[in-house]
Formats: sequence, structure tokens, C-alpha cells
Amino acid sequence: MAIAQPDIPAPALEMRGVGKSFGNVKALSNVDITAGVAEIHAIVGDNGAGKSTTLKIMCGIFRPDQGQLRLGGKSVEIRDASAAHHLGISVVHQDLALVECLDIATNMALGAIPRRGRFRLDRRRMETEAAKVLDDLKIRVGSVRTQIGLLSGGERQIVAIARAVRMDLPIMLLDEPTAALGVRETAHVGEILGELRQQGKAVICISHDMDFVFRNSDSITVMRLGRSVATRRTKDTSRDEIIGLITGAIQGDTASSDPTFA
Amino acid sequence: MASEQAEHQSSTASQGVLSELMLRQETTLLAVIVAVGIVATLRNPAFLNPANLTDIARAAVIYFVMGCGASLLMIGGGLDFSVGAVFTLGGIICAWLLVWGAPWPLAVLAGVAAGAAVGYVNSVIIERLHVPPIIATLGTFFIVGGLCVQFTGGEDIVPLPETFQALGQGAVLGVPYIVLYAIALGLLFWFLLEQTPFGVETRALGGNRKAAIANGLKVNRLDTILYVTAGATAGLAGVIYAARVGSGQVAAGGPSVTLSVVTAVLIGGISLLGGLGTITGVAVGALLLSAIDNALIVASVPPQYNSIIIGAILICAVAVDHMRRERLYKRRR
Ligand SMILES: Nc1ncnc2c1ncn2[C@@H]1O[C@H](COP(=O)(O)OP(=O)(O)OP(=O)(O)O)[C@@H](O)[C@H]1O
Ligand SMILES: [Mg+2]
Repeated sequence: MAIAQPDIPAPALEMRGVGKSFGNVKALSNVDITAGVAEIHAIVGDNGAGKSTTLKIMCGIFRPDQGQLRLGGKSVEIRDASAAHHLGISVVHQDLALVECLDIATNMALGAIPRRGRFRLDRRRMETEAAKVLDDLKIRVGSVRTQIGLLSGGERQIVAIARAVRMDLPIMLLDEPTAALGVRETAHVGEILGELRQQGKAVICISHDMDFVFRNSDSITVMRLGRSVATRRTKDTSRDEIIGLITGAIQGDTASSDPTFA
Repeated sequence: MASEQAEHQSSTASQGVLSELMLRQETTLLAVIVAVGIVATLRNPAFLNPANLTDIARAAVIYFVMGCGASLLMIGGGLDFSVGAVFTLGGIICAWLLVWGAPWPLAVLAGVAAGAAVGYVNSVIIERLHVPPIIATLGTFFIVGGLCVQFTGGEDIVPLPETFQALGQGAVLGVPYIVLYAIALGLLFWFLLEQTPFGVETRALGGNRKAAIANGLKVNRLDTILYVTAGATAGLAGVIYAARVGSGQVAAGGPSVTLSVVTAVLIGGISLLGGLGTITGVAVGALLLSAIDNALIVASVPPQYNSIIIGAILICAVAVDHMRRERLYKRRR
């Protein structure tokens, strides 16, 4: 369909015609999403629209039943979370995926724990790295030795975001990163995402927070009932249009072209 | 009173609260051991005889060696009920090879390997056949126990070479060799748990399996390693026991050994919910169990009291563990 032109870089991450069922539940059908380099791409939709499922396919936790995933124009199959990591994808999950009984530094290092020699854990490096990332992001959560179980919901959210930033990978996926945050912290996350965009990263962010989406994103994909119904440039659309697309008051683009819909 | 103090701690002191609580479990247990010792000594001063204290340490070694692998597995969110039978298997395989004239290092290795093999089978049953750990390992407990009887015809395997028995019965400066083995193994497991990425990943796996998967940990490989390790230490304990008693006994293990190991580990502060626990806790738990066993015999208390006391301590220990978690994780939500 789209012919790659030499002067336009291939999108960082593309989903084409992705479908996914859980037993009898058809969670996704025909999902198309294109996220560009140095761009913040928002995904919005009602509860149960399939946003988290889409994201989990992007990071290898689920495998799609149909359709394909392309990174930098190349079709890939992501077997599991560590494969996604190797392909340059970091994730902040909706349920945050933190281990309560471990401290902040350890949680931030999970999956890529620094070593001293072949067998030993380099705890000092783990702690200084974590402290530096938190410091760079101007995040204050006390000592990096604090157990995650002791943090408030908002603090956990911030730590989960910091962990993904620490990975320093070209693609970052976030599932409702501001759900537990106050006004100031939400703005702070917006700044962090803006910085990532400036570094040329592709950021894909699920959010229910329309203010946040309109303030920070470059483009928006609306999902409804397991489909991607429309994608708009943020500057060319309005809140009313997006909300209409979410509720179904406004017909999407892809719904009519979907063969199973006719 | 202590809880009031904890309420007043600021969040920056949370690390202090934590280590304090961690410490408290072990210090409480040590206090219980001392109390048991005092009561036993009052009833029969022979409790404090060096020979008797050495006996306590010897018995604790068996629980502790098995407890090393079992606790690592539990911290990683698993459970192994087969250890009581694997314990028998390790001793029998080792003794059988010795009787056939194999050099002792080979026989020891074979006993440990037999345990590791059962651990591997456990992990395959759990991962591939999706049988819950408690059922899978209960099943292999019965199967392995039956195979041991079948293999030996119900007869103990004797006589074992003197050189091998010396490994289990000798002592330096009054300290039995087997206590030294246990200390060396304890250091190894402490290192694994506290100083390696493997230890951290094990805690992550037990603390939140979903998070471990989402962070790209190889959870199935970790599971396998943990079950193999639990089997290996159970086999090793069987080998040590065979050396200590000088025979490969068919009735060495059994349900009571499984339950004692699980109990020692739980009393030692390893959480059945995974993630939390220390090797020193396991050591203290093992010591407490063998001290109570011994004290009641020395003080000629009827054996049923043993069961009653251990049951009560187990329930208290796990209730305390639950309280620890509640305090740690729910307070600031
Ligand atoms: N593991 C699963 N097993 C079965 N059904 C699932 C599973 N995960 C998601 N679903 C179903 O797929 C649908 C989409 O769920 P998903 O979590 O992707 O929605 P969402 O858009 O992220 O919603 P929310 O805004 O509430 O987070 C729902 O109907 C849900 O019940
Ligand atoms: Mg969701």
C-alpha cells in the first residue's frame, strides 16, 4: 500500500491488520497503527476497547492471530518481552509490572542487571545508575533502596516510567502512565515524553486523559470495540471529533472498509 | 508498643523499619531457642552437655541442607513436597554405588545428581503438563518413595566403606564435619541469593511472576533451575545422612521429613507467597526444629507435645510473616 520513499524514514513501529482472540472473546480485529520516529503517538478509546491488548502485542507478551508488526519497515515476530527489549522496545505497563518486595534500584534494573565479573551483582552500580536516572528526570522518591511496596501509587508510576527511560531504547510504549498522577506530576510526565521525542524516540502512549493527549501528542489513534477506527494529526483534529470517534457518534474511517463489517 | 513506634517512622526511615523487621524474625526465633534450652536444662542438665549440643547441630544440618534448595525454590514462588522421598533416594543411590565399589566422590555426585534429576522431572511436570507444584511434587514424592522400596527390596544398604563413613562421622576440634559442610553450603546459597543477578531474579519471580515475565526474565528457565536445585540439596542431604548413620536406609525419609523441611523453612521466615526470606532465617529455623526435637526427648516429655509445639510455632511464624507483609505494603496505599 504505502511505498517507502527514500526521503521519508520508515515508521518506527507499524501494525497492520492485527487481530487477536482470547478463546471466544475477539479482543482485536484489523488494528492498524503507525508510529513515527521522533513522535508521540497517542492511543485512546473506551475501557475494553483493546488498547492494552494492542500494546501487549507490540511488546511480545501476546502474539497476534492475524496481521503483522513492522519495526523500521521490517516485518518482525516478537517472541517474548526480552526479545522486544533486544529489538529496541521498552514498556511501561498499566499494572506497572513492579516487584513489591524489591527496592527501587533493583526494580529499575530488572531484565538488565549490572554485573561485576561473571556472576556477581554490581549493587553499587545498580544504585548509582538508578539514582542518576531519577535525578536526570528530576524525580524525587527518596532513597533508591526504598521498597516498591512502600511507595504510593503515583510514586510507583513514576518509578515504572523511569525504568523504561533507563533502558534508553528507540521505541517506548506506555499504558496509561498518568492514571495515578496529580496535575503537577502529569505535566512532568509530559515533559519527559517531550524530551524522549527530542532524542528521536518513537513514543506510543495509551491515555484516557484528553488534556494530556492534546497537550503532548503529535498524532492520535482512536480504538473502539477492538478496532482502530481513525488516526488523526493532533493539530488537525478537535476534542469533539476524538470523543465522537471514541463513543461511536462519529463514524471512523476503517470501519466502513472492513470486510467483516459489510 | 512496637507497632506505635513503627507508625511514627517517616518514609525515609522505611529501610530501617524493614531491616528491623527482617532482623526481628530471626532474633525472636533465637530467643525461642534459648527459652527452649533453658526449660530443657532445668528439667535435665544433660541438655547442655557438649555431646548433646553437637547432636542438635547434627540433626539441624539435615534440615538446613535440604532447606537451602527448598527455601530458594519457595522464594522463587515454587514448592517441593517430594524432598522427603528424594532424601531417601540420594542416600540409597550413593550407598548402592559404594557397595559396588565406586569411589566415594562418584557415589556422592550420583546421589546429588539423582536428586537433581527428580527436581528436573518436577519442573517438567509443572511447566509442560501445567500441574500445580503442590500436586506435581506430591505425586513424585509417592513415586520416588515407591521406587526406593522397589529398588532396595525394602532392605537397608550396608556395609558402607570406612572412608565414606568418616566423612559423615568425623570432627575437627569437636565440630562435626557435616556441620562444616552445612556452613559451606549456607555460604554458597547466601551468595547466590544476595550477591548474584540469579538471586535477584529469583526474588522477582516469586515476588511478582507477571512482572518478571514483563521484564523479560526467562521464567521457565529459572523455574527449572530452582526445582533442580531443591532436588539436588535433598539428594545431598540424603548422602550426608547415609554417611552419618553408615547405611543407605529405605526408611530415612518420608512424609515427616518433607513436612519438617517445609516447616523449618517457613518458621525461618521464607514466605510461601514468594519473594521474601533469608538463608540465615532458614538456618535458625532448622536449629529451632532440631532443638525442640532434642529438648523434649532430653526432658522426657511425651512425643505428642513435640507435634503440638511445632504446629503452634509454625502458625505463629507464618502469622507474623503475614503481618510483616501487611505492614510493609499496605500502610502507604
Ligand atoms: N488475557 C486475556 N484473556 C481474555 N480476555 C482478555 C485478556 N486480555 C484482554 N481481554 C479482553 O480483551 C478486551 C480488550 O481488553 P484491553 O485490556 O485491551 O482493553 P483496554 O482498552 O486496555 O481497556 P482499559 O481502558 O480498561 O485499560 C476486553 O474485552 C478484555 O476482556
Ligand atoms: Mg488497558
